[in-house]
Amino acid sequence: MRSLIPWRWKEGRSVPENALTEFRKEVDDLFNQFFGNAGWLPGTSFSRGFTPAFDVSETDEEILIKAELPGVDPKDIEVDLSGTTLTVKGEKKEEQEEKTENVHRIERSFGCFSRSVTLPCEVKEDQVEANFKNGVLNLKLPKAESGKKRSIKIDVK
Amino acid sequence: MANQEIQVVDKKELSPESAEITRNGVYFTPAVDIFENSNELTVVVDMPGINSEDVEVDLRENILTIIGDTKAEEFQGQELLTEYRTGGYYRTFRVNNLIDHAKIAASMSDGVLTLKLPKSEKAVPRKIPVACD
Repeated sequence: MRSLIPWRWKEGRSVPENALTEFRKEVDDLFNQFFGNAGWLPGTSFSRGFTPAFDVSETDEEILIKAELPGVDPKDIEVDLSGTTLTVKGEKKEEQEEKTENVHRIERSFGCFSRSVTLPCEVKEDQVEANFKNGVLNLKLPKAESGKKRSIKIDVK
Repeated sequence: MANQEIQVVDKKELSPESAEITRNGVYFTPAVDIFENSNELTVVVDMPGINSEDVEVDLRENILTIIGDTKAEEFQGQELLTEYRTGGYYRTFRVNNLIDHAKIAASMSDGVLTLKLPKSEKAVPRKIPVACD
């Protein structure tokens, strides 16, 4: 209820400013509510896309990326590397034709996905290995010489 | 609106209230699609990272149990981004239809398990023609 009383001059703090920021937030929220999850906006995926989960790890020699892509045909996966930006994109096609079937449950996601990761260092582009097994994409990116960690020992005198 | 967070496909860990598992390790609830037509029930389960040999499907007293096991890989190195954990999958369903146990077919491809549960003769709806004189 207190928030309904706009400000109290008596306290002499910067209350009007707070009220203004609050108002701004309210307007932002309103916009977000309206446009935020809108699948119908052009350019946004029609709620049929999904973002696969990634695991990225590194050893001294290479960067390893794993992505969970259950049900995606390996032929539909595209891996692009430009500089240190790696993009994995593809499409998961719906195999079930819903003809006269009764649908009891739909939890799996379908559609296009695209995800980019910035790699922590340069990699040897021609030696990238990718394999897909049991719905998990495994990428092995050997680090370029410039990206390897070098340890320099300094003698303390 | 500008900085909307992308929603990564999230794996739900099996809650102890729904089922307790007597094995070690982490188990997740896989995402499932279920379709039904007049002849069969189709169950499609997302189980990324599971070998087809490690899947157990069991139908007993109308309870369908799906278990996928995996061995955690040993990894040495530094983790930069972890969005999913590796673990097994476990889910049970109560199947109401009369299922022909002998004809259940299961197939696994690209981390997706597809189960076809044909209905038994008794459960298939039958049209009875009415003859009129």
